[in-house]
Amino acid sequence: MNQSNTFWRVALLALPLSVFALIIIWPLLSSFYYGFTNWNGFSDNYDFVGFENFGKLFSDRLFMSAAINTIIWMAIAVVLPTVLGLSLALLIDSHVPGGPIFKTIFYLPICLSAVVVGQVWVWIYQPDWGLLNTIIEYVTNDRFNYAWLAKPDSALYSVIVAWSWQATGLSMVIYLAGLTAIPGDLLEVCELEGATTWQRIRHVILPLLTPATVVVVALSVINSLKGFDILYIMTGGGPFNSSDTLAMHMYNESFKKYLMGYGSAISVVLFLVALTIIRLYFKQLKKVDEIYG
Amino acid sequence: MADTATLGSTSGDYVAPKRFNPWPVVIFICLFTLAILFLAPTFGVLLSSVKTTRDIALGDLWAIPSSMYWGNYVEVLSNPAVHGYMLNTFLVAAPATAFSIALGVLAGYVFAKLPFKGSDLVFLLVVSGMFFPPQVILIPLFRLFNLMGLIDTLWPMIIVHTALGIPICTLLMRNFFATVPNPLREAAILEGASEWQVLTKIALPISLPAIAVLATLQFTWIWNDFLWPLIFTQSDEKRTIMLGLVFMKGQYSVAWGIQGAMSLIASLPTLIVFLFFQRYFIKGMTMGAVKG
Repeated sequence: MNQSNTFWRVALLALPLSVFALIIIWPLLSSFYYGFTNWNGFSDNYDFVGFENFGKLFSDRLFMSAAINTIIWMAIAVVLPTVLGLSLALLIDSHVPGGPIFKTIFYLPICLSAVVVGQVWVWIYQPDWGLLNTIIEYVTNDRFNYAWLAKPDSALYSVIVAWSWQATGLSMVIYLAGLTAIPGDLLEVCELEGATTWQRIRHVILPLLTPATVVVVALSVINSLKGFDILYIMTGGGPFNSSDTLAMHMYNESFKKYLMGYGSAISVVLFLVALTIIRLYFKQLKKVDEIYG
Repeated sequence: MADTATLGSTSGDYVAPKRFNPWPVVIFICLFTLAILFLAPTFGVLLSSVKTTRDIALGDLWAIPSSMYWGNYVEVLSNPAVHGYMLNTFLVAAPATAFSIALGVLAGYVFAKLPFKGSDLVFLLVVSGMFFPPQVILIPLFRLFNLMGLIDTLWPMIIVHTALGIPICTLLMRNFFATVPNPLREAAILEGASEWQVLTKIALPISLPAIAVLATLQFTWIWNDFLWPLIFTQSDEKRTIMLGLVFMKGQYSVAWGIQGAMSLIASLPTLIVFLFFQRYFIKGMTMGAVKG
């Protein structure tokens, strides 16, 4: 019996684990390897350059601004989809008529591709007939044609807002799932004790939603690291690299300038950042699990 | 889920029914306004697709059209390149979805029913794969498929999406198989069934809901993917729809109406999947997120 168990473990795991190892783990490890070379993407010979690529990161002005932009993106990703998602979940959970329809509407963007979302938002920000400027013109009754995506001051933030539009739906459903787990009689007791709606949310619902918040915040941060497609469509990292992120910078260096060795070094940095966040996330999950069961 | 939500908030109706309670009205108006704002981007595409480029350029995009103009759809649907893009995307998404689920079933079954020393660690390693940005494995995979001469074919995309699907598929299948009672398996084995028979004859038939969840998620993600086709394809004949969309944007640079119709047609398969299987979709998203 025991022996046959071992046989089946090996037999069933062989294929999935070898595909995973070959396509995920091995490339991950070789990214580290290429980070120490000056490979250009095509030639068969390349040299080891030691820590040159990693040293170059610190003097690369574009890398530094990409890193800062990534941090900005993360910071906004922690706030915007989380607060919006929580508010929407609380509103929908309040037994409002049409709740399921609202849920579908707010969740819908998640099934759209980043390419389509990006394009839609390019139109919103379009200077001459975009929705945003149209509304501003309507409200102020004045001519307004600010080019949101073409100005270094606003390009990055404009993309992050578009990204958040899509990310909010996921936060909302996670919070909704969290809300269903709160026992109804607990809320009824609050009501009987005369707690106001605000007190109920502040002192009962929010604390009980901590596990959901951990998941929402972590996913937002992790997904913000992956934000590439929508940026590629909306600004391509421009104007003048003002909206570059690490993922974008890595793509540009590797597949536009064919500095694959240097690009690998950037991807190693990206990996280490992601690893740190994921470890923090798993640790928080475990803690939350211990407290909330 | 909806049922428990109702349970959780019945307390709202508990207050004295005679007094006028403004909250539901206020909340409804709030949500309604937000919903309109939220729908505006999608609605804009819809509007643009039934308007002529001239109308849009004149600033009429956001007005309700007095007459529908179908020329954009005719233009897009009669373009043979679009047929090719759609076919390519389907040829990538369908097998990659099937393969990744199959691999997830195999691995998930072992992690749920045949755990071994250190299996939790292996499981965690596999699952954490879904959190990393794909840029981390971009260059080595480009080199690998380049050496194999597979660049500009559909194969790299099928293979990579199969592999990238393993974490989420393994996670969901393990969690589902964990709910299959152990005595069921043991009884079957005592009666001479092999592990393979238990998996295919007992565990699989009852895990169809989990497979449906994964199929909707995987198909949507792969259909919508942009990065991998961008890296792995070169010729127009091998482009997937999302890549084609971007390249055709150059071709129809100011033909916004045509771009709108194209976006809509490109999103149609995932929109249909979403609207019909929304329940599965949400379940998969929350399960994948929460249990991670």
